Amino acid sequence: MGEYIKFISAALLNVVLVIGVYFLDKKTRFKNLRRIYKELIIGVLFGCSAIYASLFGVKIWGATMNVRDASPISAGLIFGPIAGIVSGFIGGGFRALTVLWNPDSAFTAVACSLSTFLAGVIAAVLRKFMFDDKKAGWMPAIGITLVLEVFHMLMIFITNMDKAYDAFLFVKQCTIPMIIANAISVGLSLIIIAIISKEKVFRIGRDRGIAQTFQRWLLLCIILAYAVTSIFTYNLQTGIAESQVEETFTTTMTDVVTDVKLKSDLKITKVATKVKATYETNNNVDLNTLLHGEDENGDKYEICEINIVGNDGIIKKSTDTTKEGFNFYETDDEQPKQFLDLLGEKEELVQDFSKNAVGELRKYAGLKIEDGFIQVAYNQKQFRTTIDEFIIDVTKNRHVGATGFIAVCDENLKIVSETGVNEHHISMLGIIPSENMEKGEPEEKIFETEIINPYNQKSQGKYIYVYTVKEGFCIIAAMPMEEVTIMRDVSIMLSSFMQVLIFAALFLLLYLLIKKIIINNLRVINSKLAQISGGNLDVKVDVRANEEFASLSDDINSTVATLKRYIAEAAARIDKELEYAKQIQLSALPTNFPNGEDYNIFAQMIAAKEVGGDFYDFYKLNDNTVAFLVADVSGKGIPAAMFMMTAKTIIKDLAESGMSVNDIFTKANQKLCENNESGMFVTAWMGILDIPTGKLTFANAGHNPPLLKRADGSFEYLKTRAGFVLAGMEGVRYRVNEITLNAGDRIFLYTDGVTEATNENNELYGEDRLLSFINKSLELDQTKLLPKLKKDIDKFVGKAPQFDDITMLMFDYKLKKGETYVESRTFPAKTESLTDVLAFTEQILEKYQCSMKIQTAICVAIEEVFVNVAHYAYGEKDGDVKFDITFDKDTRTATFRMADKGVPFDPLKKPEPDITLSAEEREIGGLGIFITKKTMDLVTYAYENGENILTMIKKI
Amino acid sequence: MTIEIKKNADELVLEITGRLDTITAPALDKTINENLGEIKCLILDFKNLEYISSAGLRVLLSTQKKLQQKGTMKIKNVREEVMEVFEITGFVDILTVE
Repeated sequence: MGEYIKFISAALLNVVLVIGVYFLDKKTRFKNLRRIYKELIIGVLFGCSAIYASLFGVKIWGATMNVRDASPISAGLIFGPIAGIVSGFIGGGFRALTVLWNPDSAFTAVACSLSTFLAGVIAAVLRKFMFDDKKAGWMPAIGITLVLEVFHMLMIFITNMDKAYDAFLFVKQCTIPMIIANAISVGLSLIIIAIISKEKVFRIGRDRGIAQTFQRWLLLCIILAYAVTSIFTYNLQTGIAESQVEETFTTTMTDVVTDVKLKSDLKITKVATKVKATYETNNNVDLNTLLHGEDENGDKYEICEINIVGNDGIIKKSTDTTKEGFNFYETDDEQPKQFLDLLGEKEELVQDFSKNAVGELRKYAGLKIEDGFIQVAYNQKQFRTTIDEFIIDVTKNRHVGATGFIAVCDENLKIVSETGVNEHHISMLGIIPSENMEKGEPEEKIFETEIINPYNQKSQGKYIYVYTVKEGFCIIAAMPMEEVTIMRDVSIMLSSFMQVLIFAALFLLLYLLIKKIIINNLRVINSKLAQISGGNLDVKVDVRANEEFASLSDDINSTVATLKRYIAEAAARIDKELEYAKQIQLSALPTNFPNGEDYNIFAQMIAAKEVGGDFYDFYKLNDNTVAFLVADVSGKGIPAAMFMMTAKTIIKDLAESGMSVNDIFTKANQKLCENNESGMFVTAWMGILDIPTGKLTFANAGHNPPLLKRADGSFEYLKTRAGFVLAGMEGVRYRVNEITLNAGDRIFLYTDGVTEATNENNELYGEDRLLSFINKSLELDQTKLLPKLKKDIDKFVGKAPQFDDITMLMFDYKLKKGETYVESRTFPAKTESLTDVLAFTEQILEKYQCSMKIQTAICVAIEEVFVNVAHYAYGEKDGDVKFDITFDKDTRTATFRMADKGVPFDPLKKPEPDITLSAEEREIGGLGIFITKKTMDLVTYAYENGENILTMIKKI
Repeated sequence: MTIEIKKNADELVLEITGRLDTITAPALDKTINENLGEIKCLILDFKNLEYISSAGLRVLLSTQKKLQQKGTMKIKNVREEVMEVFEITGFVDILTVE
C-alpha cells in the first residue's frame, strides 16, 4: 500500500514541478535568462523528478512500475527540446545505474533506461516539428504519453525475448497502471497550466484548421483500423492456440501410450522368449512350473497362462486345461484369431491388455515354434505389478506443455500414477469422468475443468484435458488454461503494441506531410494576402510547391495586378479633376492687395493636397468702407469647395447691399441653411471698416479669434463671444462687435489650419506658439510676415503631411485721423503756369487716392479759376498766385485756396450762362467759373488783406 | 495734345489725343480753321481725349457756329470725364455727340 502512495506521489510531484517551473518562467526574473540556460536548468529539475519516480515505484517481479517517463515528456513538450533531452538523459541514465545496487532490476534495465531517454528525445522532436516549438495541448500530450509508454512496454518485450513468458506477465500487470499514471501526470499538468494562463481547456465551436479536422478523421480511421486488426489478430491467435493445444495433447498422449505399450510388450516378450526356450529344450516340461520363473535377464516374473498351439491351430497343451483343444481356426473372436499369423510368416506377436475369447482380462504374447506357436499371458494382477512402477515413472517425468500434467488411472478410474494418492478416484483431482470414460472407451474431445490440488484441496485454476484408454489404463493429459491462452495473449499484446506504434508513426508522418504540403503553403499565402489587404499591392504570392498552389499564386497575382491597374487609373483621373477644382477655387480669391496710405491688406491661402473649403475675401463697399473676412467650410474635397464658393458669393452680395456685418451673417446663415442637405457648415470672421474713422464692426460665426495688435503693443487674441457657425442652424442671429482702429493697428485673421497644424508626434502648432512667433516679428511688413509664419509652421510640422488648408489675412490700418495736410505753392499768374498748377494738383490728389474721374473734374475746375486769374488779375503786369491744397483725412475733404494780389474781382458774381440756349445763341465764354461751381462742392470768394481769395472745397 | 488729320473730299476727320485745355485749345482752333475750307462734314474723334476745359469748349462752340450753315460737325467716342463736362455745361444738347 505504501508503495502505491509513493507511486502516486511521484506522479503528482511531476505535476507540481510543471506548475512551479511555469510560474517561475512567467512571473519571476527567471524568464529573462537566456533560453539555453533556462532549458538546461529545467532539464536537470525534471531529471531529478524522474529519479524520484524511479526510486518510488511499485515492485513487480523484481522490476519496478513507475512514472519516470512523465518527467522528460513534460519537460520536452512544455518547456522545450533541450529540457526534454536533458531530463530524459538524466532519468534514463539513473535507471541504467540502478543495476549496480539492485541486480534484480537488470531484467528491464535496458528497456527502461532507453525508453526514458527516448521519451525525452521524442517529446523534444515533436515539440519542434509538430507544435512549431510551442507548448503542446493537453489532448495530444496525453496521446503522446500513451504511445511512448506502449513503446516502453514493447522495449521490455524486445529486450527479453528469451524470457517472453516472464516479460509477458510483467507487462500484463503494469501496462495499464503505468500508461494511466504517466498520462494523468502529463495531461493534468497541461490542463492546470491552461486553466492558470486562462486558455480554453476545450476548444468547442471554434474554427478548426485543416490540421485539426485532418487529425480528427485520421485518428478515427486509425482507431477503427486498430480495432479491426485487433479483432482479427485475436481470432487468428485463438485458432492457432487451439490447434497447438490439440497437437500438444496428441503428441503427449501418443508418447505416453507408446511408452506404456512398448514397456509392457518388451517385458512379456522377454518372458515368452524364456518360456519358448525352455519348452524347446524339453517338450515335456511341466508348463505350470514355467508360470513362475526368471526371464532371460534374470528378472522374476509371474504369468498365469501358457498355451502350446499346433500347426492345426488347436491348443495341444495348456496350463489351463479347459482351454486344451481350443481351435484358433474355428473361433470367431478377433483376439485369438490374430495369433493365426504366427502359423504363417510372423515370428512374434504381442497383444494389448484386453479381454480374451472367454472374457478374461489378459495380455498375450506369442512366439513361433517349430510346429506351431507358444502363447504366454499375464493376468490383471501380474500385468499391474509388472507395469505400474513404470507407469509412475513415465508420468512423473512427463509434462504436457510447460506446466500441464499426466494422470494414469486403472479401469476403475483409480489413480495409479501418483504414489501419494494412489487408489483414490480420479474425481479427487476435480476431473468428473464422462460416460465413455467410465466404460473405459476413449474419446476424441477436449474437456475443461477446475483442477484441485489433491494434497491441500486448493483450486489450481481452469485446466483443459483429454484422455485415452490403453492397456487397461485411462491416461489423462491436462494443461492449465492460462498456458493455452498465453501465447495468444502475448501475440495479441505484441501486435497491439506494434500497431499502436505503427499507427502513431503513420499519424505523425501524414500529419507532417499535410502540414508541409498544404498548411505551410496556405500560411505563406495567407500572410501575403494579409499584406495585400493591408494596402501593399506590390506583394507577389509565389508558392510553387505543387501545381495547385502555383496556379492559385498566379491567380492571386493577376487579380492584384488588375486591381492595381484600375486603382492607378482611377487615382490619376481623380487627381486631375482635383487639380482643376483647386485652380478654380484659388482663382476665386482676390489677389490685388490694397497697399495705400490708409490701409493695407495681404492674405495667403495654402491649400492642402485635396481641395479644401478655406477662403479669404476683401472688397470696398464704397469709398469709405472696406470689408474683409476669413472663413472655413467644414470638410474637404469637392463638396467643401463648392460650398465655399456659394458662401463667398452670398456674403459678398449681402455686404454690397449695405447691410451691417451682423445682418450679413444672419441673412447668409438663412440662405446657406436652405437646401443644405449635406449638413456642411462654415465658420467665418468678418469685419467692416469705416476707413476715415477707423470704426471696425465685426461678427464671428464660430471662427478662431483673430489677433489684434495695437500700434504700440503686441498681438493679443481679440476674443469676443462667437456666434454659431453659418449654415449650422436656421434662425441664428449674430451679434455685432465694435472697436476703433488707429494708425499702426494690425489685425491677423487665420483659419484652424494654422493652429491645428500637426507634427509627426501629433502635437498641434497651437495658439500659444502662433502668438509667440508673431510677436517676435511685430514690425515686419505683412507680405514678409505671412510667408515667414508659414515657414515656421512648416518647420514645426516636419515631414507630417499638411491635412488642412492654411489661410491667413493681415489687415494694417494706417490712416492718421484728425490731421490736415497742407501743401502750398506759388505760381506766376500766367497761362503758361497752367501745366505746373495742374501737375501739382494731380500729385496731391493721387497721394490721397482720389479716383481718376474726380481728379479730372477737379483739374478742370482749377484750370478755369487759374486761367481766369491769369487773364484778369494783374492786367498787363506780372504777379503771383499762391495756391494751397489742404486735405482732411477724417472727412477726406480737399480744400483748394487760390490767392492773388491783383484787382479786387469776384468771379462768382458773373451771371451764369443759360445752358438751355442753342449753339447760335450761346456766347463763347463765361463757362469756366460755371464749370468750377458745378464741379466743386463749395466755392467761396473773399477779398482780405489786399488779396482775392477763392476757396473751393471737394470731398474726394 | 496731338492732332491727326484725315481729309477725304468734303469730309475732315480730326483725331485728338491728350488734353484740350487753355494752353492747347488755340492749336486745335488753328488746325480747324486751316483745314475747314470747303469741308461739309467735320468729324472730331475724341477717343484719346482725356481732358477738356472751357477753352476747349469754346473752340467746339465756335467751330459748330461756323459749320452751322454749310455742313455738319460730329463728335465721336467721347470719354466719360469729357462727357461729364459736356453735361454740366449743356453742350450735350448743342453738339452732335455720337
